Amino acid sequence: MTPIVELIAPRLLPIASVVAIALIVKGYANVGEGFGAGVIVALAIGLRYVVLGPERADRTIPIVRAAPLVAVTGLLIALGSGFFGLLFGSPPFTHYPPPGEPVVRIGALELTTAVAFDVGIFLLVVGAVVMLIRQLSWLVAEDDS
Amino acid sequence: MTGRAFRVPPARPAVAGWLAIAAAAAALVMTLAGWQAGDWTIDVPWAPTLGFRFALAFDGFAALYAFLAAGIGLLVFVYATAYLPRHLDAESRPQADAGRFWSWMVLFMASMIGLAASQDLILMFVFFDLTAVSSYFLIGFDRHRSDARGAALLALVVTAGSAVAMLLGGVVLEGEYGTFSLPAIIEAAALTPATTIGCVLIAVAALAKSAQVPFHFWLPRAMAAPTPVSAYLHSAAMVAAGVLVLGRIHPLLSLDPCVLDALIVAGFASIAVGGILALAQDELKQVLAYSTISQYGYVVVLYGIGGPAGAAGAALYVVAHAISKSALFLTAGAVTEATGESRLTQLGGLVREMPLVAVASGVAAASLAAFPVTLGFFKDELFFAAAIEKAPIVGVGAVLAAGLTLAYLGRFWLGVFAGPHRPLQHGVPSAMVIPIVVLAALTVVGGIVVGPFAALAADAAAGIHGSPVEVAPAYHLDGRTENLMTLGAWAVGLALLAATRVRDAVSRLVARAGDRLGPRRLYGLVLDTVDRVSETVHRAEVRDLRTSLAAILVPTGILAAFGFVVTPTDGSYDVGPLGVADVPLIVLLALGVGAALTATRDTGRLRPVLALSVLGFALAGVYAILGAPDVALVALVIETVLSIVFVAVFARLPATAVADRPSSGHPGIAGRRNAIAGVLAGLSAFAVIWSALSRPPLGPPDAAAHIRLTPDAHGGDVVTVILADFRGLDTMVEITVLAVAVIGVTSLLRRRSEP
Repeated sequence: MTPIVELIAPRLLPIASVVAIALIVKGYANVGEGFGAGVIVALAIGLRYVVLGPERADRTIPIVRAAPLVAVTGLLIALGSGFFGLLFGSPPFTHYPPPGEPVVRIGALELTTAVAFDVGIFLLVVGAVVMLIRQLSWLVAEDDS
Repeated sequence: MTGRAFRVPPARPAVAGWLAIAAAAAALVMTLAGWQAGDWTIDVPWAPTLGFRFALAFDGFAALYAFLAAGIGLLVFVYATAYLPRHLDAESRPQADAGRFWSWMVLFMASMIGLAASQDLILMFVFFDLTAVSSYFLIGFDRHRSDARGAALLALVVTAGSAVAMLLGGVVLEGEYGTFSLPAIIEAAALTPATTIGCVLIAVAALAKSAQVPFHFWLPRAMAAPTPVSAYLHSAAMVAAGVLVLGRIHPLLSLDPCVLDALIVAGFASIAVGGILALAQDELKQVLAYSTISQYGYVVVLYGIGGPAGAAGAALYVVAHAISKSALFLTAGAVTEATGESRLTQLGGLVREMPLVAVASGVAAASLAAFPVTLGFFKDELFFAAAIEKAPIVGVGAVLAAGLTLAYLGRFWLGVFAGPHRPLQHGVPSAMVIPIVVLAALTVVGGIVVGPFAALAADAAAGIHGSPVEVAPAYHLDGRTENLMTLGAWAVGLALLAATRVRDAVSRLVARAGDRLGPRRLYGLVLDTVDRVSETVHRAEVRDLRTSLAAILVPTGILAAFGFVVTPTDGSYDVGPLGVADVPLIVLLALGVGAALTATRDTGRLRPVLALSVLGFALAGVYAILGAPDVALVALVIETVLSIVFVAVFARLPATAVADRPSSGHPGIAGRRNAIAGVLAGLSAFAVIWSALSRPPLGPPDAAAHIRLTPDAHGGDVVTVILADFRGLDTMVEITVLAVAVIGVTSLLRRRSEP
């Protein structure tokens, strides 16, 4: 690995997270959505595994051990925001507030249940891809030794 | 089942058992309340666009089968609380396995009650298959034994496989009448070819479920199940599901007299085959299994006779048979438990050691053989009355059938209880005796006070026949035909019972003919062939990564090529204009083509992978130029992940692997085959994409509507809104697939390393 990659890889995660958050926040008004954001975060973590190897990477970001939990949480959030309308007798993926109703805004972000769905996808993708990369990384390391 | 040596079982049955008993008791009480309250319905749209409804109606017909499922279920569950711990102990299995047994039993009971009440053909199919699935796990409960596994598979293949005919039949009827609702179809029913085909298809599934000839062969093997399973599924529930469905669609079946005559033939064939084979069986449960085939043959004959008499007879017959047969199955289990023996030739003389069981099972057998003062007497009375009303030849068949019943039941009971005295190995717990006594008591009560049973049967018969039916069984001390026929049947039965040698010879002959020519052989042949073909295809496909890919790409290419041959190509391959503004696009595409050529030609390891990445990035650039920034973004990040993973894995591969691998130039057959497969797949993909891009989209453009509606959905980016809102359900399914795929990959990788 070149020194440049070794320098960048461990410092990429915060930047990637900011980009991902921006993609989700602006997603409804501009390019990007939860899936892409999820892959970008996973990419930053994946690069760290490639450069540092599984043991050191696991040590520097211990939260990756919770990747399966993150994935399942994401799936549940997505399911919940997609199907909670059934409780009120509306078809699945009826998002609230309905068309024409006022929406709470935080800057460019309009808070609708569709955003929750997007966040769910984001978490699922991050969790799933990190899980895969981590497994693969351990497998390769084991073959090496 | 032979020679099982029970040790002293643990005293406390599992909590799950008591929960199951409570569920059965609750179901019984609700059935009683529902029957008394009269018609009680649930009807909610299930999949409205497809016309499915979750429609249940608790009419008299449903009440009868629900009574059987819940009532006999309750008694069998009580029996099983004592039986199951001993069984698990004898099989050296942990007691915790009981949980599986109870959950499948309760699921079975629930789906049986659901089936009885369902009014929608699709819903009926779902419950029908649910019973098949739970029976698979119940028959195969002793999964360490290969005979149990084989029997479970056989039962599943025959009953669930034929259930496909039921689904087809439902679709055919829907095509004819425009609804899956059974009452609506029956109301509109007319004699048309489609109606006949539809209900015959459903009837085939029902006959297979009720183990009628020629589908009967699964039932005797299903006796590998634990005794409570046999007592429940193979007397009152699983096999009853078939005649239940026949009863439900009977108004449709009776439109065509040919169909009814075919039912009579199938029924008599089952009576004959089941009855004659039952005469020579040695295993207790085998005798009962063949007897069940034969007894449900009676019900099918009654359906074939039709009319109010046939409907009434069928309804009462099902009740009387289920009560007696489950008692006999439970007896077989108790006897085997007490003696460690399950064969008639090894048994006998138990009347002094097990007097209560002997009397109770004697009463149950007497009821099946239609002796007076039992409920069974009336079932034969109605059967004979319906038979002679139909035709004299049917009457003669009925008498012979009843004689056969008496003969094999007599052989069963005498073989177990008569003869020289024999001591027991173990005592039998009262929980295994009381259910038998209760069932026997029910038949006697039914034989004296037939009123409630007749009322239940009349209510059910009204459902079968389509209009109210009077069921008034009674004892008549005169020389009427039914009584004479009963006497005749007893005479035939006793003669068969006495003529041991003739009986055995005939039965063996039939058994041998069945083994030679029977459908069971065909089943084995079909299963073997399918297995072999599947194995061959599988081996060819998974030999290496290239054959796996070729297995997807080559058939796709061939199918696409076929599509091109048969569709008109006019205007399909449009080249279109090319301007100065397209130069960046062409540069990117040229880069992509170069990268693709490099990937195929380069013999290195890392370079082809990097070339593929270049190709991916070039395409992402194309998306960006063509105004699809969302797609470009996703393509870009995915391409990056793939590149990193590839590089990370390849960087660590041992260097020697390159030398072992044949070079990518691939001289020889394998290389040429790969090249052909690649060219075929590539050409077809090229043609498909070109053709797709040349055609304007058909139908109203969705895109315009989506763009118009996006502001209403509080969004600015159409693609995101489509993903999260307009097509949210699609996205949901896709990410679920992603989650499942990750679980699969993770478990495959984890097999080798545990981080």
